[in-house]
Amino acid sequence: MSSITAPTPAVDPDNPLMPGGRSRRRTELIMLVFAFALVLFAFANVGFSLKGTLPSGTAEYLGAFIVIVLVAHLAMRRFAPWADPLLLPLAALLNGLGIVMMYRLGAQVNPATGNPEVSASATGIQILFSAIGIGCFVAVLALVREPRVLQRYTYTLGAIGILLLALPALLPGSISEVNGAKIQIAFGSLITVQPEEFAKLALAISFAGYLVAKRDVLALAGRRVLGIDLPRARDLGPIVLVWAVSLLLLVFESDIGTSAVFMGLFVAMLYIATSRTSWLLLGFIMFVVGAFAASKLVGHVGERFDIWLHPFVGSNPENNAFQLVQGLYGMASGGLLGKGLGGGQPYITPLVQSDLVISAFGEELGLAGLMAILLIYGLIVQRGLRTAMLVKDPFSKLLAGGLSFMLALQVFVIVGGVTRLIPLTGITTPFLSQGGSSLVGSWILIALLARLSDTARRPPPRSIQEEGLTQVVTLK
Amino acid sequence: MNRALRRISIAVLVMFVLLLINVNYLQGFETASLASEPGNSRAFYAAQNQYERGSIITSDNVTIAASKPSAGANDSIKYQRYYPYGPEYAPVTGYDTLYSQTGIEAAENGLLSGNDSSLDVRKFIDLITGKSTKGATVQVTINSKAQAAAYNALAAGGKPGAVVAIDPSTGKILAMASYPSYNPGVLATHDGKQLVTVDNQLLADKSQPLLNRALEGTYPPGSTFKIVTSSAFLTQNPGTTINTNVASPTQLTLPQTTNVLTNNDGESCVNGTGQAQLIMAFAQSCNTTFGKIGEDVGASALDAMATNFGMNNPNLTIPLAVAQSNYLIPPSLALTAYSAIGQYNDTVTPLQEAMFSAAIANGGTLMKPYLVQQVTASDLSTVTSTTPSVLHQPVSSTVAAEVGKMMLAVVQDPTGTGYQFNASVEGVQIAGKTGTAETGVGNSGLDDAAFTCFAPYANPKIAVGVIIQGGGYGAAAAAPIAVQVIKAYLGNQ
Repeated sequence: MSSITAPTPAVDPDNPLMPGGRSRRRTELIMLVFAFALVLFAFANVGFSLKGTLPSGTAEYLGAFIVIVLVAHLAMRRFAPWADPLLLPLAALLNGLGIVMMYRLGAQVNPATGNPEVSASATGIQILFSAIGIGCFVAVLALVREPRVLQRYTYTLGAIGILLLALPALLPGSISEVNGAKIQIAFGSLITVQPEEFAKLALAISFAGYLVAKRDVLALAGRRVLGIDLPRARDLGPIVLVWAVSLLLLVFESDIGTSAVFMGLFVAMLYIATSRTSWLLLGFIMFVVGAFAASKLVGHVGERFDIWLHPFVGSNPENNAFQLVQGLYGMASGGLLGKGLGGGQPYITPLVQSDLVISAFGEELGLAGLMAILLIYGLIVQRGLRTAMLVKDPFSKLLAGGLSFMLALQVFVIVGGVTRLIPLTGITTPFLSQGGSSLVGSWILIALLARLSDTARRPPPRSIQEEGLTQVVTLK
Repeated sequence: MNRALRRISIAVLVMFVLLLINVNYLQGFETASLASEPGNSRAFYAAQNQYERGSIITSDNVTIAASKPSAGANDSIKYQRYYPYGPEYAPVTGYDTLYSQTGIEAAENGLLSGNDSSLDVRKFIDLITGKSTKGATVQVTINSKAQAAAYNALAAGGKPGAVVAIDPSTGKILAMASYPSYNPGVLATHDGKQLVTVDNQLLADKSQPLLNRALEGTYPPGSTFKIVTSSAFLTQNPGTTINTNVASPTQLTLPQTTNVLTNNDGESCVNGTGQAQLIMAFAQSCNTTFGKIGEDVGASALDAMATNFGMNNPNLTIPLAVAQSNYLIPPSLALTAYSAIGQYNDTVTPLQEAMFSAAIANGGTLMKPYLVQQVTASDLSTVTSTTPSVLHQPVSSTVAAEVGKMMLAVVQDPTGTGYQFNASVEGVQIAGKTGTAETGVGNSGLDDAAFTCFAPYANPKIAVGVIIQGGGYGAAAAAPIAVQVIKAYLGNQ
């Protein structure tokens, strides 16, 4: 049907980033079907490869997974109808692949130990945590209807964040130590929580709130030395505090990965808030100096560098660098197309279910699969950064930029570590690693991004005044 | 803020591009160098378990090692190796564990596992035609009847020892048994913990079941070395025959010493006249006669002859590595006399014992012993096959014939050391030489019994070497085992 009256364009020609009035929830559902199909294929692949039949419990596992993800989809329809349609499917796909990998690792015995690397119940537990994560996702969407509400809790969340970070360091090692790093809180032998996964989110919100309030003074005041705008000494307080906390993390918790993510997050947000390169330089130099000093003071950190630089030298392959080297061997054996799920030997690599899960994917899905996974992460980050560009309010902008950058940095630190681009430090791989805290934290992050993108993409309310003047004709 | 966000986005892009470049480098370009890192057990596993491993079969097509689909549902390795005859063939097959191999499993690993480059074209054809690739089948030269007789005879005797039988005209190894042995099947387990337990048990076992005595054990040859001494003597003195009289004192005072070399129980040799025909001294294994001959021909001649018979060779492979059999040039004439009768520092493998007789049986030409007959790809085409080759020519055919006659006398002359079981051979003429080697400090240990022989005398088809540790008198402990192997093999022909 043709019309002489011009319809409202789907995209505002003056602002191509500003989408028109389509919520895209149906796109999300179609993309989710793709994600489900991929996870189903992966599941079947594991079963046929290891046992020659569909794995037992496929229907239950997959059914539970689909149900909880559809709950998230319904929550999106209800609470964040304008949110970016790719966030949920991408996150769900990663989560599903993580579940498949837990199933795959639990279904095969490591000949050297006579046991699988994870217990057979790991799949169920991972699905349970996915449910809890999606529960938190729904709760965040339901409770935080407007991102700016979070700005009120700048200092509360800051305090909670720092407390969560510091808690494991203060607790005795029997409760908090795991693999040489003090990063967890154990409630008995069954339940352990990694508070840093939540601290990162609290601090990202807190940083956004603080920087929005202070950004003018941080951006403008100061002197220009050698072409670089240096901040005033009195404004250095926050960055010094964050730096100090991140160094304490390093020294007392031996957690260089989280420390880097934490510092990087703050510096990036500082830069987004002020557009001052001097903050970037300052933050980078402070971190490098601090890390260097720590590497001299703390054996754990120095060892990481040695492993990185000389993994195949001397006794390193059998001892300190065993984990890294086995991960590299695994990915090398995968080659371009991988061994196929169930076809490799990821169980040889220690901690393949958590820190080195990416090496298992590299081994079994090959370069092709690993690149696809990296691109999925890249897409989530890109959707987040796009949200930051779109959203109008500075707090939301900062928060969206910060969260996206944090996710990117975390992927860079762990994948770069496992592939020996940078020193390997033990942090979780979002959505893929075994572990509830990481999964729940990642889902909360996606909820925040969804909330921000919903705000960004929501069409402005139509002015009643204009309605009388312009006839809006929607085709079809 | 958007300008800063754009820059952050570019930084993020750079981070992801770096990751992508790095994984491309790692999984696209570095795979070969990582796969060849020495500690890369994945590469080892992959090579071992990519295809169904080929079988090992005997020359008469008895399967002695094969693979079948793994039984365990959770097994990460698709095929289970098994060894139908267990300990009997362990010295031949060796084992194939999660981590390592020995024996033919190791020597022919590339072909058995299907990774050898010579199989590439066939694998490519399999890929196109959709057939599943299998490793190649290795056919060894072993005769199953001879092997069974060898192992059963050793086991019946219950003493540690080994038997090797060779086809003298080709060098084919017809039997190779070692006792005590082990069952390679228990080491083929896919349970790493169990493997370590079993392996430690075998390693700790004082009877050394993992030792392949046939190739890796070296023992004093005792009087069987008189074959070498006689060969050196007859070669050095072309006019002499086995009927030539040689000095045969009851006691031989060793030069530059007051030590006296005697015969086995101090008896006079042959007839006590101090002279004896060489053949009689050989048949009765007179130490004094051959001690004197050793002094006369000299250590360097003995050394050259021993080397030509296959000793002093550190690089012999069949293709399994064979321990070096040693003849060390003694520092004095007195010790030369000892070395001439297989004492002093002479040591031989059971394979070497068989090679002594094989060379004599084959008219003085020693064929290179070999264990692998041929390798057949899964499409039944031949990948490699072994053609017999000459290792050395230690003696002329004339000398070989003379020594052969002397070896026949050992068994057939009523005074010969091997006469006692002559009747048991039923129409087959065996020519051999017994050996009883003193072991331990001051001859404190039980004597090692050695026997080397070939049969049938007129048309030799098999040469056998036997060494039994602590077996005592060679003719009693070792010779009957050789006879059983010969009967089993010739009866099978």
